[in-house]
Amino acid sequence: MIGYVSVGLLGLLALSIPVGIVLFLLGFGIDTFFSSFPLTRGLGNMVWSSSNSATLIAIPFFVLLGEILVRSGVATRTYAALDRWVSWLPGGLIHANVATATMFSATSGSSVATAATVATVAMPQAEKLGYDPKLFSGAIAAGGTLGIMIPPSINLIVYGFLTQSSIPQLFLAGLVPGLALALAFLAVTAIICTIRPELGGQRRTFPFPQMLRALIDLIPIIILFGLIVGSIYRGWATPTEAAAVGVAGAFIIALAFGGVSWDMLIQSLTGTVKITSMIMLIVIGASFLNFTLASAGLGRELTEFMNGLGLTPLKTILVVVVLYIVLGFFIETLSLMVVTIPIIVPLVVAQGYDVIWFGILMIVLIEMALITPPVGLNLYVVQGARNSGSLNEVMLGALPYCLTMLGMAFLLIAFPQIALWLPQLLQ
Amino acid sequence: MELKMIETLRRINRIVALLVGFGLLACAAFILADIIMRQVGTSFGGTEEIAGYTMALATSWGMAFTLLELGHVRIDLLRTKFQTFGRALFDVFSMVVMSAVIVTIAIKAWPVVERSITNSSRANTPLETPLALVQLPWFAGWVWFAVVSCLTTLAALGLLLKRRHEETENFVGAFAEQDTLQ
Repeated sequence: MIGYVSVGLLGLLALSIPVGIVLFLLGFGIDTFFSSFPLTRGLGNMVWSSSNSATLIAIPFFVLLGEILVRSGVATRTYAALDRWVSWLPGGLIHANVATATMFSATSGSSVATAATVATVAMPQAEKLGYDPKLFSGAIAAGGTLGIMIPPSINLIVYGFLTQSSIPQLFLAGLVPGLALALAFLAVTAIICTIRPELGGQRRTFPFPQMLRALIDLIPIIILFGLIVGSIYRGWATPTEAAAVGVAGAFIIALAFGGVSWDMLIQSLTGTVKITSMIMLIVIGASFLNFTLASAGLGRELTEFMNGLGLTPLKTILVVVVLYIVLGFFIETLSLMVVTIPIIVPLVVAQGYDVIWFGILMIVLIEMALITPPVGLNLYVVQGARNSGSLNEVMLGALPYCLTMLGMAFLLIAFPQIALWLPQLLQ
Repeated sequence: MELKMIETLRRINRIVALLVGFGLLACAAFILADIIMRQVGTSFGGTEEIAGYTMALATSWGMAFTLLELGHVRIDLLRTKFQTFGRALFDVFSMVVMSAVIVTIAIKAWPVVERSITNSSRANTPLETPLALVQLPWFAGWVWFAVVSCLTTLAALGLLLKRRHEETENFVGAFAEQDTLQ
């Protein structure tokens, strides 16, 4: 059954059948070949119960929040403000790319949206100020991936939903590794630009009053982040309620900055519906496949399979890491996550690993998938915002950050407390 | 003719998507109002339930819109290696498969609604919502998705047979996320 699912999955995906549909097809296949009772009879109920979910409605809310912020011009102000604060470091404006991406990650739940936002704002500056395009664009692609790690994260909501683990706990667990990665990106940039100054642009310092004035543009985003994350951890609100609060907050910020119009509202709403349905087709398909796999006795087969291999828990995790890196070349974030959860998570948990911890490790690995060629969505998004140069430059520029993420993955394996410390502290 | 039909479907779906969007917005406002009311000690009750129904409806009715906006994720690694005709074959094949699956889902969704109607089932919650009231429009959304996806497949197939395959890219081609998120 494991072989059937793996081969079927890759084969059908290669035929460019939509990912969500592939998951349904595999479920039908399990039903036909491996199950003694008809599982497809439960299809209608699966589709109903997996979409009738007060947890998942947090997804459209967080998408909408991001759409409002992106379309109301808040990004431009944030970027300019962060430029005032971090451009004195070796590497100059590149730090502003990472910092802006981090801030937007903290409010929007999507990596692609984050990268797209920062790229459109930052790219014209790079050309104006004469930056080396490689590292500059690579930093945007990499910084954008933080969107799925720093809470609120749509991917963590989906992970929590499919593995039935606590979403607030996952959010808490993602906070420290997410911020650590952002700091590591800044450090890597500074080191590279100290050794090879020609890769960065000119460092700039601004008079202190200007820096203070720039803070005004940052405060709303920081408050919004505090509101969303704070209300979840204080137990005032569920993630769904916090997301609704976030939507209201984003509206207020957009109004204050004068970025709300009828057109913008329509675009934000239809954009939200599009992304939500895209995610939901995959999530419902995965729920159905999960259900058929579990009913057909995947658990027993997995245990036998693992016993047959005779791997230690540590070796298992290393195999899983290699698997994600290889698959990550070809399959993208959410799809990669959702298609692997039904098999990989039970396998890892059976080896005694924590399901929350593994969620965070998986996020680091699929973040890497976003910036590894040939299929790396963030690379294309950043390339799309450039007027010149080849995609290879973006890939090359993203490489140092990719290695940083790999380092982070190994740190997480060596010290699980990086992720688990905060949730345990607040439990 | 095919392109005109797709254009009409797209226009209808944009209106549907906008209605869904406003529905989500209304749900967010409702949740917000409930949070505020809780601070003063009362509550509407049942926000969880209503949020769930909103999500189920938003999901089923948003699908067809996403289809025609090329929003459903496909891995097009192999597909991009081909010329327009080869790509059109990939696209039409994946549309045929997709339509078959969606029609199956729509058919299998009916017994869920039927049971709620015949048993006059009510949700096991404080609101005791008659389930058919929510499941009927939810089912209709999947039927709409099935209809749109079949019509789209026919349109693409028609153009392919007329050797106008380069025109199919626009409505069954691989997705272009970067265009829409900027």
